[in-house]
Amino acid sequence: MWLMVVLLCVGCAALLLPTDRPQGIMMWTFAREHQLMYEPLVERWNEELASGLAPADGSPPLQSPFHVRLLGLPALQRRMMSHFMAGTPSSDLMEVERQMAGRTFLGPLDAVGFVDLTDVLRDEGLLEKMPAASFSPWTSRGRIFGLPHDVHPVMLAYRADIFDAAKIDVSSIETWDDLERVARPLMDVDGDGKPDRYLLNMWETQRDHLELLILQAGGSFFDAEERVVIDSPENAMVLAKVVRWCRGPDAIAADAPNFSPAGNKLRADGFVLTGFVPDWMLGIWSREIPSLAGKVRVMPLPAFERGGRRTSVWGGTMLGIPKTAARTPESFRERWSIAKRLYLSKQLATDLWKTGGIITPVREHWSDPVFAEPVAFLGGQRSGLEYIALADHVPSRSSSPFNTQALERVQRALQDLSEDAQAAGNFDEEWLRERAKIHLRRAHDLIQAVVDRNVFLRDDRANATERQTAHTPEALR
Amino acid sequence: MSLTAGVPASPLDPRRRAPRSRLQPRWAPWVFLTPFLLTFVIFTAYPLVQSLRLSFEQTFGPGASEFVGTRNYAALLRDPLFYTALKNTAWYTLGSLLVQLPLALLLAMLLETPGLRGRNIFRVLLFTPALVGVVFAAMIFAVILDRKTGLLNQSLVLATSWLPQTLRWDPEFEWLPRHAIAAMVIASLWMWVGFNMVYFSAALQNVRRDLVEAATVDGAGPILRFWHVTLPAIRPVASFVVLLSLIGSLQIFELPYLLLDVAGRPDDRGLTVIMYLYRSGFDAGDLGYASAIGWVLGLLLIALSLVERFLARGEAEGGA
Repeated sequence: MWLMVVLLCVGCAALLLPTDRPQGIMMWTFAREHQLMYEPLVERWNEELASGLAPADGSPPLQSPFHVRLLGLPALQRRMMSHFMAGTPSSDLMEVERQMAGRTFLGPLDAVGFVDLTDVLRDEGLLEKMPAASFSPWTSRGRIFGLPHDVHPVMLAYRADIFDAAKIDVSSIETWDDLERVARPLMDVDGDGKPDRYLLNMWETQRDHLELLILQAGGSFFDAEERVVIDSPENAMVLAKVVRWCRGPDAIAADAPNFSPAGNKLRADGFVLTGFVPDWMLGIWSREIPSLAGKVRVMPLPAFERGGRRTSVWGGTMLGIPKTAARTPESFRERWSIAKRLYLSKQLATDLWKTGGIITPVREHWSDPVFAEPVAFLGGQRSGLEYIALADHVPSRSSSPFNTQALERVQRALQDLSEDAQAAGNFDEEWLRERAKIHLRRAHDLIQAVVDRNVFLRDDRANATERQTAHTPEALR
Repeated sequence: MSLTAGVPASPLDPRRRAPRSRLQPRWAPWVFLTPFLLTFVIFTAYPLVQSLRLSFEQTFGPGASEFVGTRNYAALLRDPLFYTALKNTAWYTLGSLLVQLPLALLLAMLLETPGLRGRNIFRVLLFTPALVGVVFAAMIFAVILDRKTGLLNQSLVLATSWLPQTLRWDPEFEWLPRHAIAAMVIASLWMWVGFNMVYFSAALQNVRRDLVEAATVDGAGPILRFWHVTLPAIRPVASFVVLLSLIGSLQIFELPYLLLDVAGRPDDRGLTVIMYLYRSGFDAGDLGYASAIGWVLGLLLIALSLVERFLARGEAEGGA
């Protein structure tokens, strides 16, 4: 009995102990790179606040001290969901990545934990200042809940030293078929007729690669109205192509996983000659594989057909304001002012590029000379301009809370298709496409059942249709 | 005149008992039971009732919930992934029971062989994997079973390198997605066979020597002695171990989660019921559906445990 009393006392004392949360506005982020970029800015802003000086960039000054705290991605996700569902303490601003944001859209629209920014974005003309695709992952049932941090266009990195030595002009490569045709001879180094290296870093288990290819091809898992569209012809085409690339007798793809020493070694050794690189990836490569400096360059993704899309998208972050942190118009204005100052500033735009290789979504900053500077890691290529040229062609993505499940199911369909092809020894793309439709249909039905179970989304969609509410950032303009 | 008058009161006489608090007889048991009752109600009974309620609802936090009746259960019965998970769990359970337990018994019998040297060292060696934890075991087996660089594939490639090309082992052989259940059975075998062996060892030490010797004198061979003397003697322990393994196997989660999910290879071939519950509740955020899965699994466990107890009792009575 005494033990219980002691435990209860200790528990109560722990609850009553003061937390280490500093006074002022707190922002949580999950990315170390972001925190490192924000720290000097935040320090300067806090100094201006303390000394009473007006901000040098003409922005409204802080009203209270501002702090940025780094949390691990899973920790941030759990704290965010605990806050939204159970009211546990939270920050005033929250940086959230795409899949985390999707989780917050599972319930009724009015139960989304972030402040609806749609009207303020429209009123302040911010929707026109950034590519529409940057808003799409943070848009649910026609409402926008976050300020976009990035665009993340994807290009194809290639081993320029090897391509140049073979006198291959990459400007002649317009489609994936062109790449296969022009660069296939590079795979056989010793001339024994067997591949010694592969054209493309891609494997059936690489979900991110699969999704970006589907988006590039114009496919998707959910349409703008968040209806399931997994069994589309575009998705079937991508699955068929990936299976042939990875498993066919004329395979061109091999697995050199990103973010792993083993994969980096394979890239450095030239085992894979090309790979998908969103803007942020080059910053990571330059740190993790310095031996590639000067040996790689980037080109637009080859299209699936002539005249097709030459880019895709991979990753994404937003800044949201939890509703509990903006209960009064004044508290919202203070947080919104900090969010805009942080995300829309020219300083951050150039820092994003210089330290992380990331292109800002704010169009007016794209003309800054920093983006036209040659990048030493890419042998002096002005990749900033090339990424910017693709930024407006980045495909829109669904913010569906079921996106992760859908991707899992489509990946399973890809594996089933791969096994079918290997068992039948048939890698004809037409045949593969027909088989892919069967597997995708199964995936479609499974996800449809999951979506149908969710009464909140169904009711909200019905209401939105009745109100004839626009469902896309483009339409909101 | 009373018969007891003048007789000294015995020590047990109620008249001699020390005066007690008025409350003691009625409330003392409850005072002692309160800590358990409190923890039971707060941490077991209340969550159970809440999860039952939740299984009939669709929720998004406490602020948004809607009663959906038996829709979650109806959806579960139509859900092919649930049946996949159920099938995988059944295969894993069968694999665990039919491979692990006989092997544990065999090892226990070998270690109980009279005159065996280094018995304790073998016991420690076999029991050690149970101490390292599931996470460690899963990480080890994820490395061992890796497609390209895994120890198993590399060893098989080396071992078959002298064979003709067509017979050589394929280093791309995918153990984990394609043979996930077999991989899980092997990993859990490594972990738990020594643990179960300890139960059987303890049971074997209590088998009456005189019965074994009598059977030997009567001409019974090792198999007959095992079947008619040893097995009936260890049946209560064996039944307990079967029940524990059954419950543990049906609730398997960490091993496939780490072997398959963390390695970035989500695959239905390793999906177990608890994994599906976790994914539905915490990845997909459908707590009502996850609760329904939990309740169906709970009922299944109760039913299987009752069947196991019934069979064990029937055998014991039959044996007697």
